[in-house]
Amino acid sequence: MVAEKGSKLRIGVPLSILHYEFGGTIARFLTRLGIDVVLSPPTNQEIFQAGKRVVIDELCFPIKIFAGHVTYLANQDVDKILVPVIVGHENNRMFPCHPRSRLADIVRALGICETDRLLAPAFRFDQHGLTVGGFQDLARELGFSEDACDQALDDIRSCDSDEPHTIVASSDGLTIGIVGHPYVVQDKWANNHVVQRLEAVGCQVVTENDAEPIGYAPEATGLHFALAARTVTLSKMWDSTPEIDGIVFLLPFNCGPDGDITRYLNRTIKTPMLTLVLDELQSSAGLITRLEAFVDLLNRSCAAVGGRSS
Amino acid sequence: MKHFTFSWGNNYIAIRGLLQAIGHELATPPKINSAIAERGIELAHPFLCFSGKLVLGQIATQLDQGDRQFTFMSSLGPEACRCADTCDYLQSLFSDCSGLSTHRLGGGTLDGTLANLRSHFGPRIGKLDCMKAYASFLGKIDLLHKVEKRCTALRCLSSTPKQVHELEKMALIRIDNASNSIALWRVSRWFDLKANLLPLHKRPPSLRIGIIGGEHILSEVDSIMTMIKGIAERGILLEWRSGFRHLVRAQSSLGPAKEKCRAYLNDALSTSEVFSCAHALEFIEEGYDGLLHIYAFGCMPQTSVKPILQRVAQDAGVPLLSLSIGDRFAEEGLENRLEAFTDLLEARKNKGATK
Repeated sequence: MVAEKGSKLRIGVPLSILHYEFGGTIARFLTRLGIDVVLSPPTNQEIFQAGKRVVIDELCFPIKIFAGHVTYLANQDVDKILVPVIVGHENNRMFPCHPRSRLADIVRALGICETDRLLAPAFRFDQHGLTVGGFQDLARELGFSEDACDQALDDIRSCDSDEPHTIVASSDGLTIGIVGHPYVVQDKWANNHVVQRLEAVGCQVVTENDAEPIGYAPEATGLHFALAARTVTLSKMWDSTPEIDGIVFLLPFNCGPDGDITRYLNRTIKTPMLTLVLDELQSSAGLITRLEAFVDLLNRSCAAVGGRSS
Repeated sequence: MKHFTFSWGNNYIAIRGLLQAIGHELATPPKINSAIAERGIELAHPFLCFSGKLVLGQIATQLDQGDRQFTFMSSLGPEACRCADTCDYLQSLFSDCSGLSTHRLGGGTLDGTLANLRSHFGPRIGKLDCMKAYASFLGKIDLLHKVEKRCTALRCLSSTPKQVHELEKMALIRIDNASNSIALWRVSRWFDLKANLLPLHKRPPSLRIGIIGGEHILSEVDSIMTMIKGIAERGILLEWRSGFRHLVRAQSSLGPAKEKCRAYLNDALSTSEVFSCAHALEFIEEGYDGLLHIYAFGCMPQTSVKPILQRVAQDAGVPLLSLSIGDRFAEEGLENRLEAFTDLLEARKNKGATK
């Protein structure tokens, strides 16, 4: 659907799963095309509850959050709500997990927003992120020319940062590497402010954004699911980074692929690792105690071997 | 060399056929029981689906017996769920197990399949051996599917359920013993003749229920599905089309299935959801009285498709019951829910007839 003459098309983008996963690329692309992009606000209790009310219990925690964001946008003055369909890797050997590839179908089936307001372009990905074909189809569907699409893609690429990534060990505390899906690591409500809580006890926290780029879908792991492959690759990278004292793995409740790699990581990663299962029943008190205990153990073990933190 | 695998219901018979064609043997997997389920639950991460836990339980039990050559079928294609990662996952779970060797069968093309076979069983395997092995595998898969489907229907239609049970048992033995395509064809004919001779009830089935869901759970006929099948003996015709066969033959049947459910499902590369949705739509078109959705708790494809199936059923006005089979499912609870569902369907049908 193209906006009526004189008015700008307004597209709602859920600030959730796919937005975080692909670094907001689609929203930036739409903005470059001159579309008014309306992001849903950061996750809060109200948004989560709205999602939980409509989604079946067995779906994972992030899908419930996502449904809440779509519900929020459905009540806003937006012409369309963007729920991309992530089909899979160009190599046909790596895929998103099933619920993530079915987001648009789930939204449609649950009747969260009117079907004609749902904008569900199909994208594929490769090692660098979303591939061009999806953007071209999206631009075409919105009535933009090929030139406008190319220009918008050039613009967003030129803004991508090439800054070198170096991790400097904290001089007066521990350095903790976080691993997990981007939409859990970056969503402060979903992870119960874990980064801030670690910083509050004197830790320096590093995430994937601070690491050398590992690519969207690292193939070397041989894993089928792209984000699980990313988690394994980043964990191994943190494991071989001497500046990292401990790893915190954020595991959303009922996430199949990450559940599968948990034991593998526990067996292969030598750096102390804390797995935190995040769900809708998370209590801050319990989480703080576990983080404190982990930090305390790391401090003691560093002290025992005459490490930095001593 | 003797290999072992997990059962996939009776589909291990087809994998045995494949291995025998290249000069190897396959041990008969232990039947699923509560001890095996507990062993799997103990080994697996809680988020692994119940099917995965059963599989792990079966593998661990055989490893305990000293078996070391684990062989399984997975092409790592779009039809795969997390089972596609089975190889690496297992190696991480059983890394303490000395001498474990895993062999992945399958491959998208003849060349890919041959290369895969050679990488596990040596370079002496020729193209013809590969073709013979897969002819045996696919022939047995098709026949197993046919026998299971027909016998499930006969449990309702025949007046001698005991004979149906005997026929099914005999057919499985004959399929397992068939050493080539001609022998398989003979088994198929023998089965048809025997099935046609069974005496039938005079009354038609009181209800027709279409079953959709997770392929692994649906294939475990001798354990989990026994109770589900039991309702057939109350005069209810049960029909399911999903199964191991659909996954194996996905390349030819996936396209039409995707087309069928285009209004509900996008193009994402997955198979289990597509078949479940397409089969639900087929059952609705064919006037079935209700839909029974059976899946393992934690099964990602089936959990994703659940809200979509609910929409399909709602749009068509056909009752749907979703049964999630998990670590702690109680047979009594399952029985009650099935009874309530069939009662509801009967009441609904009678009301329609009265009107």
